[in-house]
Amino acid sequence: MRRLLLSVSLFITLSTPAFAGVNVVATLPWIGSLAHEIGKDKVNVTVLVKSSQDAHTIEAKPSMILAARKADIIMYDGLDLEIGYLPLIIESSKNPKLMPGKIGNFDCSQFITVLEKPATFDRSMGDVHPLGNPHYHYSPSRVLRVAEGMARLFTDADKVNADFYRANYKAFADRVKAKETEWRAVPLNGKKYVAYHKYFEYLANEFGFRLIGYMEPKPGIPPSAAHIEELVRLMKEEKPDAILVTPAIGKEEAEALSSKTGVKVIVLPNDVGSLEGTDDLISFWDKVVSLLK
Amino acid sequence: MKSIVTSSGMFTLMLVFCAAPVFAADVDERLNQLEDSVKKQEVTIQQQQETINNLKADLEKQKAQTAPQEATPAPQAPKASGLFGGSIFTNPSISMVLDTFYYRSNLTNDELANWTIPGFTTQGPDQRNGFNLDSVELFFFSPVDPYFDMYVNIPVTDNGVSIEEAYVVTTDLPEGWQIKGGRFKSNFSRLDAQHPHAWDFWDIALPYRAFLGNEGLGGENGVQLTYLPVLPVYTQLGAEVLQGENDLLFGPDAAQGPHAYSFFVKCSVDTSDYSTFYFGPSVLFGETNNQNILPGSVVAADSALYVFEAVWKWKPSSREALTIQSEYLFLLQEGTSTGLTSGISESLRRRQDGFYVQGVYRKNRWGVGARYDVLDLFQDTFKLGGVQQNFGGKPHRETASLEYNPSEFTRVRLQLSHDQSDTTSGRTNDEAILQFNFSIGAHPAHSF
Repeated sequence: MRRLLLSVSLFITLSTPAFAGVNVVATLPWIGSLAHEIGKDKVNVTVLVKSSQDAHTIEAKPSMILAARKADIIMYDGLDLEIGYLPLIIESSKNPKLMPGKIGNFDCSQFITVLEKPATFDRSMGDVHPLGNPHYHYSPSRVLRVAEGMARLFTDADKVNADFYRANYKAFADRVKAKETEWRAVPLNGKKYVAYHKYFEYLANEFGFRLIGYMEPKPGIPPSAAHIEELVRLMKEEKPDAILVTPAIGKEEAEALSSKTGVKVIVLPNDVGSLEGTDDLISFWDKVVSLLK
Repeated sequence: MKSIVTSSGMFTLMLVFCAAPVFAADVDERLNQLEDSVKKQEVTIQQQQETINNLKADLEKQKAQTAPQEATPAPQAPKASGLFGGSIFTNPSISMVLDTFYYRSNLTNDELANWTIPGFTTQGPDQRNGFNLDSVELFFFSPVDPYFDMYVNIPVTDNGVSIEEAYVVTTDLPEGWQIKGGRFKSNFSRLDAQHPHAWDFWDIALPYRAFLGNEGLGGENGVQLTYLPVLPVYTQLGAEVLQGENDLLFGPDAAQGPHAYSFFVKCSVDTSDYSTFYFGPSVLFGETNNQNILPGSVVAADSALYVFEAVWKWKPSSREALTIQSEYLFLLQEGTSTGLTSGISESLRRRQDGFYVQGVYRKNRWGVGARYDVLDLFQDTFKLGGVQQNFGGKPHRETASLEYNPSEFTRVRLQLSHDQSDTTSGRTNDEAILQFNFSIGAHPAHSF
């Protein structure tokens, strides 16, 4: 009898047609993770960039174009972070649903307050982002606003399941808010760090620490000997708490700087999944805060 | 009188002494009352606080329940840039690429001008010893409207201004379909689809020079239809109708109207998280009529060029990449060759092939590359009037390069070539090229 029940239930499970949910393509892991929080099993999420890759230097691969071809919605960080590959992917996907202006073209940065939008810029300043710093996924409050926008998008795109998406958003928001008190209890206020890349401005803004210098002389330009010398002098004066770096870029250089100055290196995850135990956004922020402690 | 004073004083004193405890008792009582009232107030405050807390909680609940609709912040004002970024709405994105080089060969300029590939082309290279300006290329691109994107590429060279590309691409056709129209670089083969500044070497591969000329097929007027089906593997199908103005494989006056056609299939699989394989066959065919294949002769023929391309890219990190690329080209040509002065016509039959393989390894700001080109690898049939012609062996060339890329907008490249493609000259062309490539403005992303 039990065996019969098992085989019947198995039969039902297997014969249920594959769920034809909303096909979402996300450029970065954190966006994919967020889409999964809000959409759960009602959306199929494909992420284009691996967490071990440097999000600044991605090339458009044909497999990405194929993923976009199948997508209903493409979600991206925005602020020109994906300028080197996304326009090409969207155009080559021959998928009219993803074109700018369509509901399937979802720029996550539209919901957030941008930091570091330069008043003037040119490329002599390095690879600056003219629209502002695009690494806002370190800011839980900003990501929550993106989550709200995403819930509304799913609600619009799939009205039948509107309540489901709203409930998922609420559950996620509650979890983040509960965690936020915990994170804020960690005394980061007033700490000083040196960073490899301008990755952590939103984090500093949220948790009240300071970034006193960068190993890159200009964003995207690898550190020069002269610049590092200047930085070493500054670090001896200011005595920062640590050097912040991500696994994808600048780890070796940071180690070298550490041996010169005696300031420890903290390797922070650059995205969801880039370090052990950062499988979703909340554990990602958890990891970041606990590493900074 | 005195006693009265005294007694009254005493009385006063007594009064004071008696009254003191009475007064003290009164203060105690008052204090108690005060304490009571404070306590009462405390309770009231507590109650009020509870009410406030409850109200707050209710409000939070309401907020949370309606959050996705009500609490959503209004998206910020439209940004000054669209998806293509960087520019103000009404202006197209503009970029400029400066390509300049220093050239040194063991051959004199006159010898260079006559450096041909016998049996393939009578066209010599364009460069001269010393400083050369290859081109300043202007790029404009922008969405036209919700239905088309437009791209224009205008190289300015010593020979003047030309229009290399000016085309629109549809963006709103049913899923999977796309039409490109105008003047564009054909996608039938790899080096043709790329802009020269995106090539991994300073010059085009030898088989291209032999079959299509120094610039490859170049921009052709025409229409392209591509289709990307939803398959487990990336597979793009394409067909093109082209005017056929290339003056080595075709010829502007080979026929009235369009007289060149192409079909291609491009597939790609990711061989790992960090590597991708890209490959596909194609054919470009049409009518030929030009004077650039044999010296002093007009060739009129039907031609078909079959190409197979294969590329493997490995990019384990943002600072390290290896690209290995190879193409095999095979030409079928049947027609006649007519002497310009003699007027004698002979039958022409060609079965010739060409092959190149190249690799470039880049790490941090540096890159090293190597390339090998060879013609007549498996097939060297070139029959005039039924007689096989002898041009003196397989043309071939070896190339090495060293790159320095201070940023993604600047490239400095040193290239050394050992060229033995002019097989009848009995000489080699040993070249050294120091190339400088700069780009400014918003440049469209290069395809894989």
